[in-house]
Amino acid sequence: MTPYHELVKRVLDGELTLADLPAELRAEGEEAVRLLAAVDRAPVRLSPQLDARVMAAVRRHAQSPVRRAWRWVAAPREIELRLRVRPGVVWGGALAAAAALALLLGRPAAPGAAPAAVASVPARDSVFVRFVLYAPSAKQVTVAGTFNQWDQNAAPLIPAGTSGVWTTTLALPVGQHQYAFVVDGRRWVADPAAPAVGDGFGRRNSVVAVTTGARIL
Amino acid sequence: MKAVRLALAVILVAGIPRAAAAQDAAARLDARVSADVARAVQEIAHDAAERGLPVEPLIQKAIEGGAKRVPAERVIGAVRQLAARLDEARSAERAAGLTAPQPDAIESGAYALNAGMTAQQVSELVRVSQPPYDPAVTLRVAATLTALGVPPAQGLATIEHLIAAGRPPSELLDLPSEVQRGTARGATPAEAAQQLDPQQQGGAVVRGSGQRGHPTPQPPPHPHKP
Repeated sequence: MTPYHELVKRVLDGELTLADLPAELRAEGEEAVRLLAAVDRAPVRLSPQLDARVMAAVRRHAQSPVRRAWRWVAAPREIELRLRVRPGVVWGGALAAAAALALLLGRPAAPGAAPAAVASVPARDSVFVRFVLYAPSAKQVTVAGTFNQWDQNAAPLIPAGTSGVWTTTLALPVGQHQYAFVVDGRRWVADPAAPAVGDGFGRRNSVVAVTTGARIL
Repeated sequence: MKAVRLALAVILVAGIPRAAAAQDAAARLDARVSADVARAVQEIAHDAAERGLPVEPLIQKAIEGGAKRVPAERVIGAVRQLAARLDEARSAERAAGLTAPQPDAIESGAYALNAGMTAQQVSELVRVSQPPYDPAVTLRVAATLTALGVPPAQGLATIEHLIAAGRPPSELLDLPSEVQRGTARGATPAEAAQQLDPQQQGGAVVRGSGQRGHPTPQPPPHPHKP
């Protein structure tokens, strides 16, 4: 099987339509769309009894006495708290808080301790990113990178039928990530269509930067 | 006496998160790299932290080396090289007038150096990245263009021209994907970038056929093409 043309891949990604393809790629595009449609867009048939089963489960859950008790415990209510303390204790507390603050601000960061880079990152909202690799002879494909501590078992890709296309969608936190595909548990492969940089070990890492506003560099 | 006990208790509790974080970093390394690598990387990270450099990329690089089963000495070498690159990036940014570069900007600078930009180019880009342009973002865009094969000087010039033309910062974010669109049509990265340079186009940026180019958020999931 030959890899799909870049323009055909963009049709699969919904960026182009079949009409945008040049005539010589039209047949390839139609075949690719047909394959993916068969795999990815098969309608899910739900059992007619599903609604009834779901509602029965919801009712059981809602009537649970444990849950009612927990709701009662967790419900917010007003509490009047009266404290009678000696002035010495108040001053002691203030001094302790000041000492703790000085300790926190004054100590150099321990090696590997909560790094400044992480501390300064704004709210870590995530963006869904789809990873796709064409690897027709692979038996297993995963993606590992800075977003999953380079754990090659954390994010397996799913084969799209017998087309040789492997894909997965991950929620990545905003920021820049380096990654690579791991084919059959031993071969590290950079994403052929993503920008890549040297990994410092003689190989290449792909780079994806997720920015706020669901943009990807 | 009670006040002293209270003070000691608060100090003890305040120290717990940092100790726990240090322990967490050690545990992260211990589980993934050899003891020798963990020790060496912790030393490098300690030095980096004392100099105010971000530490997380160093830990990540060590973990990456362990995952890729790279020999210990090469992992340590790569972590040391990355620490030097972070340092070089920060120096370049300071030379451009950024007195206290944020960790994000330092990491982006190191990425730019790793992609093939020079320290002078990093400085130059930081110098022109005045608000509303964030140096961390412009550096990342320039580095990504370089990683896509656009000559560093050309990528830098394109960004400078867009900034000079007053283009919104969001437009800069589209440059890499526009270059990728151009190369998908058969252009070289340099040709694709040239199409995006306002000075090459008489002030008009030529865009691709896609819907990007305006600050319209894309609905997730976003396709990341093979």
